[in-house]
Amino acid sequence: DQNGVEVKKFKRFESYKRDSQFPPKVRDMSIVIDQKNATIVLPVMGRPVPFHVNTIKNASKSDEGEWSFLRINFLSPGQGVGRKDDQPFEDASAHFVRSLTFRSTDGDRYADIANQIANLKREAVKKEQEKKDMED
Amino acid sequence: MAAIESFDNIYLDLSKEHGKCRFAETGLGWKPVGPGDTFTLDQGNIGGAQWSRAARGYEIKILQRNSGIIQLDGFQQEDYERLSKIFKNWYSTNLENKEHSLRGWNWGKAEFGKAELTFNVQNRPAFEIPYSEISNTNLAGRNEIAVEFAVGEGGKANGQNGATPGKGKKASAGKDQMVEMRFYIPGTTTRKEAEGGDA
Repeated sequence: DQNGVEVKKFKRFESYKRDSQFPPKVRDMSIVIDQKNATIVLPVMGRPVPFHVNTIKNASKSDEGEWSFLRINFLSPGQGVGRKDDQPFEDASAHFVRSLTFRSTDGDRYADIANQIANLKREAVKKEQEKKDMED
Repeated sequence: MAAIESFDNIYLDLSKEHGKCRFAETGLGWKPVGPGDTFTLDQGNIGGAQWSRAARGYEIKILQRNSGIIQLDGFQQEDYERLSKIFKNWYSTNLENKEHSLRGWNWGKAEFGKAELTFNVQNRPAFEIPYSEISNTNLAGRNEIAVEFAVGEGGKANGQNGATPGKGKKASAGKDQMVEMRFYIPGTTTRKEAEGGDA
């Protein structure tokens, strides 16, 4: 703006245009990472549901007895931690999915998925920064 | 139209094994390929039907008159015309083509229907949660609602085949079992909805 302060703007994004773009693996009703489209596809009651990497805050794995848990946190208003406060939203008055937790007996897989999500997130931030540097 | 219309490789309520789905004027039936009981639904209990993309293929979701939900997944896209006629001619029901949102957004509007919660993104459903799959809900924080799902103690044994549709099994049907979902609901919207107005 005129004060030279960078104003964060919300930029629109889209995972898929047609359902034919889903990775074939969604058949298994398991968590699928789609690097090409910067999207993770989560099984919700038998339906593959895409979440763009831009909606994701982080993912973490934990263990409890024979079960491993994967919790995926999404960006939503009112999370109020430091600089995250200025996170722009298209519609802050909307309802938000804030987190989804899955469990499985395959803990190695969840560690791998959490890693892949972190990488995807890092990649997206890097790309965004490169784009910004080009514009300057 | 033949007296019976038959479809193979159909999954009932996220069953592990597929089966044969048959439609007749009196209603429909599903029989697993392996051992297991046959499921039948009388045509009088069909209150509505939707056609959507699901995991295995295309899905018919039947809203029962007694408020339960039946999911039949594994149809081909080109089956729509044939199935649409079956529902129209035999069950006087419109097989509604319901396109889901593929935007990948986590914001929208949670709406409460007769048998399920629908999360809509730009007026298109992104996903649905049948009430029968919810085991508990609580206020987890300011404007935060936690919904827990019925995955059961013997979760590993869930999702077995057979005509046991409905209750508390869908969240644990796959190898990734959904145990909890949290929503952020802004205070102002909650108040408006409580007063019965549109948000």
